[in-house]
Amino acid sequence: MPEHELWLTKLFNDYLAGFGASILSLAGVHAENPARPWANFITMQILVALIVMVVFAVLGARLSMDRPGKMQHIFEVLYDFLRGQSDEVVGRHGRTYLSYFGTLFFFILFMNLLGVVPTFESPTMFPYVPAGCAIATFLYYNLMGFRANGAGYLRHYMGPVWYLAPLMIPIEIVSNLARPLSLTIRLFANMFAGEQVTLVFIGLAPLAIPSVFMGLHVFVSFLQAYIFTLLTMVYVSGAVAHER
Amino acid sequence: MRFKTILILLALFAVAAPLFAQGGAAQGSSDKQWIYISAGFSMAIASGLCGLAQAKATAACAEGMARNPGAAGSIRFALILGLALIESLALYTLVIIFAKVG
Repeated sequence: MPEHELWLTKLFNDYLAGFGASILSLAGVHAENPARPWANFITMQILVALIVMVVFAVLGARLSMDRPGKMQHIFEVLYDFLRGQSDEVVGRHGRTYLSYFGTLFFFILFMNLLGVVPTFESPTMFPYVPAGCAIATFLYYNLMGFRANGAGYLRHYMGPVWYLAPLMIPIEIVSNLARPLSLTIRLFANMFAGEQVTLVFIGLAPLAIPSVFMGLHVFVSFLQAYIFTLLTMVYVSGAVAHER
Repeated sequence: MRFKTILILLALFAVAAPLFAQGGAAQGSSDKQWIYISAGFSMAIASGLCGLAQAKATAACAEGMARNPGAAGSIRFALILGLALIESLALYTLVIIFAKVG
């Protein structure tokens, strides 16, 4: 199915086509239509990154101890929630990882919610974007495992006792590779199915009924962003756990 | 009673026999049709089993919260985690369907 170009993607393709093609060629990838290399999900991701940066810049400028504004209250609630979850799952020493968890949560949340805005679509609807987040998480928890445990992190893959290692290593490798796969498919399928269900009901029923499914999609967006972050916390806590 | 059930099932299969008549008319695409049928069946089975599993999880959570209201926060956390993981199993089936159909 040929992708319908959003107005933002059209802007990028009209003015920045050469720039896009040169970035792609840096990675050795050739766009299927070299005159219009920007895909919808790339421009939507750039938009979300800009929105997140602007929101947090404005929030940071308006932080105040004695007269906090509404935005500060909302983000304090979210921050307390994330910090509480991180303390519960990773432990008190896991505060250093909170920056990654928070970034991941807000990025995925804003990406999921962008689809509700009329002329935009969620970049997480395409399998590439959740795959990117999942691969980033996979690299992050393994790197944090190496940083916390040194070379002893590889003992995690060897199972509880040394003589079970030849059996446990393939099992552990497969189960670790299945983690980014399941993270990707969970996020992608939830967002894709939410949009498809809304589209089907728009074709079937009048105005109020598809909006119920859109409301469900908004709830699922929050839930899936939370689940992604929660599972990341669980994986990081498993990786940085010190062997007793 | 069991014999009657089997007879009814066989009668239903007989009623579905005209389905095979379509294969003769369009030989080239007769294999494609099974994709749609199996997609419907597999999604139904996946969703049904997922529904059963989530019902069990929710029932255990509700009972735990009723017995021990102080631990409601931890139980709710385990519930959300469990429900999302079970949900994702049904979604794997949906992804296969979207990959194969269309």
